[in-house]
Amino acid sequence: MSLPTAVPLPGRRSARRKGTWAGLGFVSPGALLVGLLLYAPFVYTVVLSFTKYDGLTDPQWVGLDNFRRFFDDPALGTSVRNTLFWVVGTTVVPVGLGLLVALLSYRIRGGTLFRLPFMLPYALSGAGTGVIWMFLLQNGGAANDLLGSNLHFLQDAPYNTIAMIVAWTWQQTGVNTLFFMVGLQSIPAEPLEAASLDGATGWKLFRHITWPLLAPLTTVAVGLALVASLKTFDIVWVMTQGGPGRNSETLAVTMYRETFVTGRYGYGSSVALMLTLVTGAVTLAYLRRQTSTRKELG
Amino acid sequence: MRESRAGWLIRRAVLTVLGLFWLIPVYLLLVNAFRPSTGYEAGKIWVPDTHFGLFDNFREAWNSAGLGPSIASTVLYSVAAPAIGVLLGAMAGFAIVVLRLRAGFWWFMLLFGGTIFPTQMLLIPLFLGYSSTDLYDRRGGMILVYTAISVPLAAFVLRNFFTGVAYAIYEAARVDGASVWRIFWRIYLPLALPALAAVFVLSFNFIWNDLIFGLTLSQTDTVRPVMTALSSLSSAYAGTTVPVTLAAGLVMSLPTVAVFLGTQRLFARGLALGQF
Repeated sequence: MSLPTAVPLPGRRSARRKGTWAGLGFVSPGALLVGLLLYAPFVYTVVLSFTKYDGLTDPQWVGLDNFRRFFDDPALGTSVRNTLFWVVGTTVVPVGLGLLVALLSYRIRGGTLFRLPFMLPYALSGAGTGVIWMFLLQNGGAANDLLGSNLHFLQDAPYNTIAMIVAWTWQQTGVNTLFFMVGLQSIPAEPLEAASLDGATGWKLFRHITWPLLAPLTTVAVGLALVASLKTFDIVWVMTQGGPGRNSETLAVTMYRETFVTGRYGYGSSVALMLTLVTGAVTLAYLRRQTSTRKELG
Repeated sequence: MRESRAGWLIRRAVLTVLGLFWLIPVYLLLVNAFRPSTGYEAGKIWVPDTHFGLFDNFREAWNSAGLGPSIASTVLYSVAAPAIGVLLGAMAGFAIVVLRLRAGFWWFMLLFGGTIFPTQMLLIPLFLGYSSTDLYDRRGGMILVYTAISVPLAAFVLRNFFTGVAYAIYEAARVDGASVWRIFWRIYLPLALPALAAVFVLSFNFIWNDLIFGLTLSQTDTVRPVMTALSSLSSAYAGTTVPVTLAAGLVMSLPTVAVFLGTQRLFARGLALGQF
């Protein structure tokens, strides 16, 4: 049965208005929830970052004071350095390893089984991963056993940050593997076949065919890893709480500590804002670089 | 494409070595979570104990951290919040695509924009707001925030899904005299089941594994989610032994591991089809 569009439906205008009401009715619960619990707090935090607030007396406007304190605060300096270290480590290693595992296990018999050890950790929470690795890295624990060393992984900087990067890598390699598996599946077979007929194998094949074809996906993977690593809280909080003496803090942990442990809501808000701006800037810079590089390649 | 024998071997060798390395933490976790609490010695973590202590360990964790109520609450949060969030997201997607809501694109941007907010920007106002409205340390409060963070992704996925459904279905149903809600509930929602399930699973995992919202917005054992309880269990001041902490971590990770393994194939297929 076809519907002739020329036939005017009775009460067309009121039907359209009713349609709008229905539409609004359907969209507003979700929009309201999101607006109230996500957008409004975001704006509030921005405003709060220009104040001094202890949670008890009223907030006092202090302008850019909080941001000026960034330069004087040694703990924040350490935090920024750790965060940078963290970001580089957690974007290169898990993504790189994920790609390696995907390439090696692609389309071989038992591939799923080979990939299983990497997939399991991804299902764990940040807290769970933190608990396991805290146990492995304790003084006289498994890590020291395997390395034949006597290091205090959870106490001495920069070992503690490195150790947490290892723990994070253990967890995150799996998702990158999954990602690249999907990417490899979407690579058309013709260029690969044509190249191998021309005699290209292994490394050459990868470098000239596979890698460029994977480029968009790699961009997304690294971009996602960037954002996730800047926001990291769970694993650091469980393993070291950013200590000892705040030497393994990252920005997300600093924000939490300043606000909920020290009670400086205004300063904590400014750290949150700075973290957001840094994330936005880094992501934008990275994406712009990627898209401009591709333009060069034509 | 023929592969040299050396290549064949190297590939599998590298994968095996890496895989075994990756499994070492899992092995140690299992061995020491199963080990009776009294049998733990810092130097002897590699060899399994002959006695089975997992249940005792977990029971001790249960008692000292009030895990029972915490687990019950977390189940509530990770099932109710995604369910409601997915429904609200589907409703929004339906409104934008099928009901052709005016300025639909902007509504979509509003909802999808919710995915970009870093949690750090939300914590302080939510904490302050919850404290002043008596939502702090309340199950309702937790469900509220978890639902809010589930909506954006649901709206995004369902909106995309509904664009693939022929508009004629809606028109025909309207001609048949069905109400808008009925069309949504009886036709579009069942059609969208795979998409709904995928978003539900993702949200379930995220909420079950959450630490920071739990830490900030709850306090008592009955309200705080499991990862928050685990975090306090593992802190230096908890006074629990290693096997007890590991047993707690192991058991509380089982739901997400089970769900993840069960739905892995689904996700790969879904990703590949470009649905999400």
